[in-house]
Amino acid sequence: MNWTLALPEIVLSVSGLAILVFGVLQRRDPTQVCSLLTLAAFVLTGVLVLLAPDGIGYNSVFVGDDFARYMKILSLAGAALSLILSMDYNRREGIGRFEFPVLLLFSTVGTMVMASSENLMTLYIGLELQSLAIYILCAFDRDRLGSAEAGLKYFVLGSLASGLLLYGVSLVFGFAGTMEYRGLQAALSASAEIPTGLVIGIVFIIVGLAFKVSAVPFHMWTPDVYQGAPPPVTSFMAGAPKIAAFALLLRVMAGPFGTASHQWQLLIELISMASMLFGALAAIPQTSIKRLMAYSSIGHMGYALMGLAAATPAGMRGTLIYLAVYLFMNAGTFAVIVAMRRRGRPVERIADLAGLGRTDPGLALAMAIFMFSMIGVPPLSGFFGKLLVFSAALQAGLPVLVVVGIVSSVIGAYYYLRVVKVMYFDVATAAFDRPAASVSLVSAGMGLVTGLFILLLGPVSSAAQAAAAVLFR
Amino acid sequence: MHVVLADYFPVLVFVVIAFGIAGAMLGGSLLAGQQKPYAEKLSAYECGFDAFDDARRRFDVRFYLVSILFIIFDLEVAFLFPWAVALGRIGLFGFLSMLAFLGVLTVGFIYEWRKGALDWE
Repeated sequence: MNWTLALPEIVLSVSGLAILVFGVLQRRDPTQVCSLLTLAAFVLTGVLVLLAPDGIGYNSVFVGDDFARYMKILSLAGAALSLILSMDYNRREGIGRFEFPVLLLFSTVGTMVMASSENLMTLYIGLELQSLAIYILCAFDRDRLGSAEAGLKYFVLGSLASGLLLYGVSLVFGFAGTMEYRGLQAALSASAEIPTGLVIGIVFIIVGLAFKVSAVPFHMWTPDVYQGAPPPVTSFMAGAPKIAAFALLLRVMAGPFGTASHQWQLLIELISMASMLFGALAAIPQTSIKRLMAYSSIGHMGYALMGLAAATPAGMRGTLIYLAVYLFMNAGTFAVIVAMRRRGRPVERIADLAGLGRTDPGLALAMAIFMFSMIGVPPLSGFFGKLLVFSAALQAGLPVLVVVGIVSSVIGAYYYLRVVKVMYFDVATAAFDRPAASVSLVSAGMGLVTGLFILLLGPVSSAAQAAAAVLFR
Repeated sequence: MHVVLADYFPVLVFVVIAFGIAGAMLGGSLLAGQQKPYAEKLSAYECGFDAFDDARRRFDVRFYLVSILFIIFDLEVAFLFPWAVALGRIGLFGFLSMLAFLGVLTVGFIYEWRKGALDWE
């Protein structure tokens, strides 16, 4: 048996346990040290992911391939960026406890297991590990009512989604007789007609995963949880777990259920359309920047689902690139949100950004880049993401989906541009507190990545191409 | 069918003996013992709570903590029994898997100990 297949996950888990023991044995406050150790563990794991071999192991429940590698690197990057944002935020808010980086680390282990799943049980275990840690992280600022509410809400609805997913898994197992992806693929392509019970099982699995990526109509938790959770946690939730849930959606739908694509394609198409339109329309009346980002994330998941709806290698590649693009511009936007503090207290209204163009030109420029990128203005990164999913959907013969996508992009432009307008044309209010170097670094770094994405397009595109090819072997 | 029933004969014997012993103990004390009933003796035993009370009353959060800790270590034993029985067949991988599981639990134990979750005061 090939033990080294899961070496990155093993190393990350063991370092998580070691950091936990180290932290709890310290007499002085170990938060900073533990955060730095966790960051180092993320970097080490990233290197190991790149070196990890391909293949299937552990009684064929775990797989290592280009797709898993791509998704793991993205979720590690997302987790590391959120961790950097949290270090300063938690200290200033007085919630700096060393459990935070450890929980973030275990959640990341969950996302990596999800990306490598080759069996519906591995899928579920990864999903639960990831979710359980996030439930606690949402309620980490436990003395604040909003944070506790966010944790509880996400827990209750997340458990419901897990239940639906498990029910779907049990139906699939009952009708196909196996939970292995390869076995399912063989069973489905061998049978002339797909049993109705199996189709219902697939629908339940889609529902469970759509909840995790917060696609309409399973989005209701998103705005409240995004608003209530501490911003570094929100930036993590919008990044790594969604990428992992997308990894599952792509892997399960394109792999084992790929031959049944005509059964689920319309469903994904409808979810995608509903998410794009709802994300665009519901964000218009928002006054809180965190709620705005929640609706924006619902919309972006709709665009990313467009590539899956196409059910072609080009579509999958489009989705993968879209996710990478979204991860970086989202982390950057949340860096700006973390920097929004006046007189030692966080502020979150869009109106609080007024005059940022004069009081802090650097931060305002970064925010403007993220907003324009989210609209999809060339040559920023968001443009390439949208271009690839739109063209893939068009090639797959889904013109209605593309038209809905373009219309909702235009509607969405209104509220993204409103943020830019508030920053540059409204009368300046008091300046923000001076942001910590780490926060400025993340916002500037992500601004560079988003602005100069055209230079990264080649390598990202070829990595996504290789990852998508694995799904259609 | 009869073969299956015959397999359960020892269970039947056990049930009869158990009922016999229990009946003998209860009946013996009822017949031979002295009865001095009073209110506390007759009420149901409920670890410090009133037996009949509002289900939504407040009580100390430490009860939750203790019961959660109990469940974790109780489940550990529930996993250990089948593992011990099957140890001969699951090989080195099965052995090491359980050691890893116990290692994770030990880390959790160190954590709760140092955090003071085991101190009542």
